[in-house]
Amino acid sequence: MMFRIWLIAKDEWRYWRRSHLAMTVLMIAVVLAIASVVVTFSTVSLAAHQRAHLQSQAEQKFVEQPDRHPHRMVHYGHYLFRTPPPLGRLDPGVDAYTGTAIFLEGHRQNGATFSGQQHSAGLNWLSALSPAFVMQILTPLLLIVMGFGVMTREREAGTFDFLKIQGVSPLMLTIGKGVALAGAGFAVLIPVAVGALITLFYGSSILSVSAFVFSYALYVGFWCALVLLVSTLSRSHVGSFSALIIVWVVTCLVLPRIATNTAVVTVHSPSKLETDFAVLQKLREMGDGHNANDPAFKALKDNLLAKYNVDSVDELPVNFKGIVAQKSEADLTDVLNDFAEQKMEEGVAQAKVARQFGWLSPAIAIQTASMKLAGTDLENYQRFLREAEAVRFAFVQSLNKLHAEGLSYADDVNKYQSHETLQKAKVSANNWQVLSDFHFVPLPAAERFAGSIQALLQLFVLWLVVSIGVVLAGRRQ
Amino acid sequence: MTDPVISADALHVSVGNKTILKNVSFTARRGEVLALLGGNGAGKSTTIKTFLGLMTPSAGTANLLGQNVQLQPDIVRQKVAYLPESVMLYGHLNAVENIRYFLSLAGKEKTDDDIALALKKVALQPHAWQTRLQSYSKGMRQKTAIALALLRDAPILFLDEPTSGLDPVAIDEFNGLISQLASQGATILMVTHDIYGACHVANRIGLLRHGELVGMFDAPQDGNIDAEVVHQAFTQGLK
Amino acid sequence: MIWRDIWREGYFLLRKKSVLLLLLSALGLSVFSVWTGSQEVAAQQATIARLLEADALDRADVLQQQNDYGGVAYYSFHLTYAPPSPLAFAALGARDVYPWKHRIRMLALEGQIYESDTGNPELAQAGRIDFAFVISVLAPVFIILLLHDLRASERAAGRDDLLNVTAHSRRALWPLRAGIIVALLSGVLLLPFWFGAFAHSVPCWQVATVTLVCICYMALIALLCYWVSGWLYPAPVLASMLLGIWLLTTYIIPALGNEAIEHSIDGPLGGDILMVQREAVNGAWELPYSHTMDEFVKTHPKWADYTEMSALFEWKWYFAFHQVGDQVAAPLSKRYREVGKKKYQMAGVVAWLSPATLLQRTLTRLAQTDAIAAREYEQQVRDFHEQLRHFYYPLLFTSPPFHRDVFKARPTFEPIEYTK
Repeated sequence: MMFRIWLIAKDEWRYWRRSHLAMTVLMIAVVLAIASVVVTFSTVSLAAHQRAHLQSQAEQKFVEQPDRHPHRMVHYGHYLFRTPPPLGRLDPGVDAYTGTAIFLEGHRQNGATFSGQQHSAGLNWLSALSPAFVMQILTPLLLIVMGFGVMTREREAGTFDFLKIQGVSPLMLTIGKGVALAGAGFAVLIPVAVGALITLFYGSSILSVSAFVFSYALYVGFWCALVLLVSTLSRSHVGSFSALIIVWVVTCLVLPRIATNTAVVTVHSPSKLETDFAVLQKLREMGDGHNANDPAFKALKDNLLAKYNVDSVDELPVNFKGIVAQKSEADLTDVLNDFAEQKMEEGVAQAKVARQFGWLSPAIAIQTASMKLAGTDLENYQRFLREAEAVRFAFVQSLNKLHAEGLSYADDVNKYQSHETLQKAKVSANNWQVLSDFHFVPLPAAERFAGSIQALLQLFVLWLVVSIGVVLAGRRQ
Repeated sequence: MTDPVISADALHVSVGNKTILKNVSFTARRGEVLALLGGNGAGKSTTIKTFLGLMTPSAGTANLLGQNVQLQPDIVRQKVAYLPESVMLYGHLNAVENIRYFLSLAGKEKTDDDIALALKKVALQPHAWQTRLQSYSKGMRQKTAIALALLRDAPILFLDEPTSGLDPVAIDEFNGLISQLASQGATILMVTHDIYGACHVANRIGLLRHGELVGMFDAPQDGNIDAEVVHQAFTQGLK
Repeated sequence: MIWRDIWREGYFLLRKKSVLLLLLSALGLSVFSVWTGSQEVAAQQATIARLLEADALDRADVLQQQNDYGGVAYYSFHLTYAPPSPLAFAALGARDVYPWKHRIRMLALEGQIYESDTGNPELAQAGRIDFAFVISVLAPVFIILLLHDLRASERAAGRDDLLNVTAHSRRALWPLRAGIIVALLSGVLLLPFWFGAFAHSVPCWQVATVTLVCICYMALIALLCYWVSGWLYPAPVLASMLLGIWLLTTYIIPALGNEAIEHSIDGPLGGDILMVQREAVNGAWELPYSHTMDEFVKTHPKWADYTEMSALFEWKWYFAFHQVGDQVAAPLSKRYREVGKKKYQMAGVVAWLSPATLLQRTLTRLAQTDAIAAREYEQQVRDFHEQLRHFYYPLLFTSPPFHRDVFKARPTFEPIEYTK
């Protein structure tokens, strides 16, 4: 049984070796796969290196600042650079479409700046030469061109009946052809799998690498099964070819874009500017943290005075301006985070609408699975934004604490009296060590895997349905 | 004597460096049926294709009504009706639509009555007229194609293996039609390997072997060519 | 004769289920792209309307709360935007990659202008379907599917010779059949566009240009397919060859070209501009006032006599060092923009190897939704920021008494106007 299947597969391979079309297409696909792995690997590695360098530069600049008023440092701010995750070297995902740097300062949540796509030549409006593109879009086409005739050819040449008389069951023939096709698919997958293994040296986990490779294997499996099914059901090789090409165009090119349009039309997500206005509206009701005399802080003042049992802010053992800065930053951050969370949820809701199309299009399912496992999807980008916000809040608040405890109220309010008072209203540069080391790490592998389960399930179900179809169609012959 | 309608003059056809027709000459006059007999690869289809202008002779000429088809390709479109070996008219159209399509392609206008008459003449059952051709048998498709050829009003008919795959009744009907057309003045060139059918309808029979015309048989004034004689000549060559 | 031929072939083709099905799906895709494109444009216009309202309210509010010119300058944001052009519905272009709206203030511009309020990155990465995509990418696939077996299918069915010798003239058959298929396809693809163009009141010359460009493009693809369809290969081989050419020119050449261009040009990193600008602005707090003012006066000699500081903090000094911050970052920023521009120009050369990209670039240029339009908008923002500085500097340096009426003369952003 196994031997016969192997023979059938080997016979198919021999047929391909003798077909110019099949060999040309296979060679091109393998070369493109290798080229895409090499090119993307080096591009993303360079970007990772540059960003890591900028990050350490930013940290160094911060601690090198001279003695200053703590609030100056709140506005001096800090930069965070997003380094791509290890598997991003194979599927850069949203990397080019998102800002790579974010400026952290007091009272504001800035958006990420400098997206690679804005600064690109714009020729990648349809595709980038990434392994993800080669695997997701080109490999199915390869399998179609090589395999559209695997079954129809036997039937049109009359060899099918001949084989049946020899005791080869239609199912066995189908499986043999399937093995042959899978061989072609895996020939393209190998360079990508090797690339994935290399990312282990860059810190990716075994779980995500194996799940990444497995998801692509499943995707290749789906297309092998589909090619077999259509080739079995078609009356002629012409019909088989046309049908497969139409399925490819629809699922790989058209549906992903239809999914995007549908997501945008169905889930409304106001722009960041609009959110900013909503935040402003809310803040007007809350008071300006720069102005400790703002009536909004009266309750805070009364509480403090009561706590330390003194009559005026001058007598407080802490700097009231610093306390106000802390309090207002905390309140403000709550509001900002509410709005930011809402905006991120809307983004995810849109992405989820688009991802539902994965039940119809395996290309969408593999895109989602691949980006999620690589850590280059929307949620991982949002994780970066959240972590950046946590860093921002921590360093701003530790500076505000310094403001409250390291600087007297009297020195603070009188700072613009003279050059001497200005000098007095500063704290030592030794305090600028408040920054914690920041290195963005994507979600842990287990969580990334959990996030990709729906997409993997979509792929599996599609594969299963088509495979059952193949078995049923094989029996009917 | 009238001028020949179909005449091959020392035709020489080769594809690549392989010679397919060697020095083939024959003529057919108005109202004559000329049948070319030969085994597989004898050059029968090549002869027809050369006359249709689809293949170019390396030497010699193929003339229709005195005009060289290579120099006057339009003569073919205007004067010839052609019945290919396996008649595959459009499966997604019915008989009447197919006929109307091809007539229009040829630049002919015919009324519905004309078409009905032709279909009756070839004995295609009227209930099949509105059925799409994909469900037709080979005989029915053949009849549709002959009806089309009739409607072309072409003075010259080329038939490529017209009776292969037909049942004996259909062959008889077909042969009757051919004789009738010839008696009305059409000149017919058919290639076939059906010796007895050819002897039944043809005025002259040419025997092709390996691209050469090795024999020519004329029918006596008042009868058919003797099939036994032709058969003998045919099989001798095979030995 | 010719009308009868057209009628015959048209009727014949529409009776074919596969042709009809392909034409209907082309129509469906075109309608969907025009409809969602219109939705997107409407959403962008609605966003701008809402932003304008909120922006005016916010600025009025700031004006009421502040009591000096510096405070108003510091706290006032100004909305700038590039509205979608009438033709944008058909070619959404790079508007989901480049920002088309910014709120800027009087601070150093280099710290603000690179912020991009763009849409959902995951959706931007997946791309959208718009009319330009349907024509440039999908129309060739339709043409290939419809034309590749023009001859091969007839040959396989044994009709080729019969058709050839029956046709009363050569032109009446193959060229006519192919021509009618392409004409029908162009019709179903362009019809929704014409409706959309009418609804968006696109200027006639633009509609005509788009129509002409699209027809030329499809005719080019059709000629290629027609030529290849005459080769003596089975239909799937012909289709594979044509799809191979399409894939190569549409997807692979641009992707390779992109990599080549990215690797061939070196320029400053965006992060460098930000860091340089920030160091310049924040370093100024520790530097002598004269240092900042000297640098400032170099570009604004008009205020040379007004640089004396009467207090330790004055707004004029504060905005001067922001100006100086921009000046320090200017060479980097200029180089950064030049590199971006150069890359896009180089891409234009590569586009000649990729008809689909060339068409996409042509359509987005007409619709002003391409990178060039985005850079023009960025320049507009820079110009407007410059105008703001021109308005504020006299108020900050000569310190006239504070009157809110003065702000009636404050420049307002004028968005690009599209020719009707």
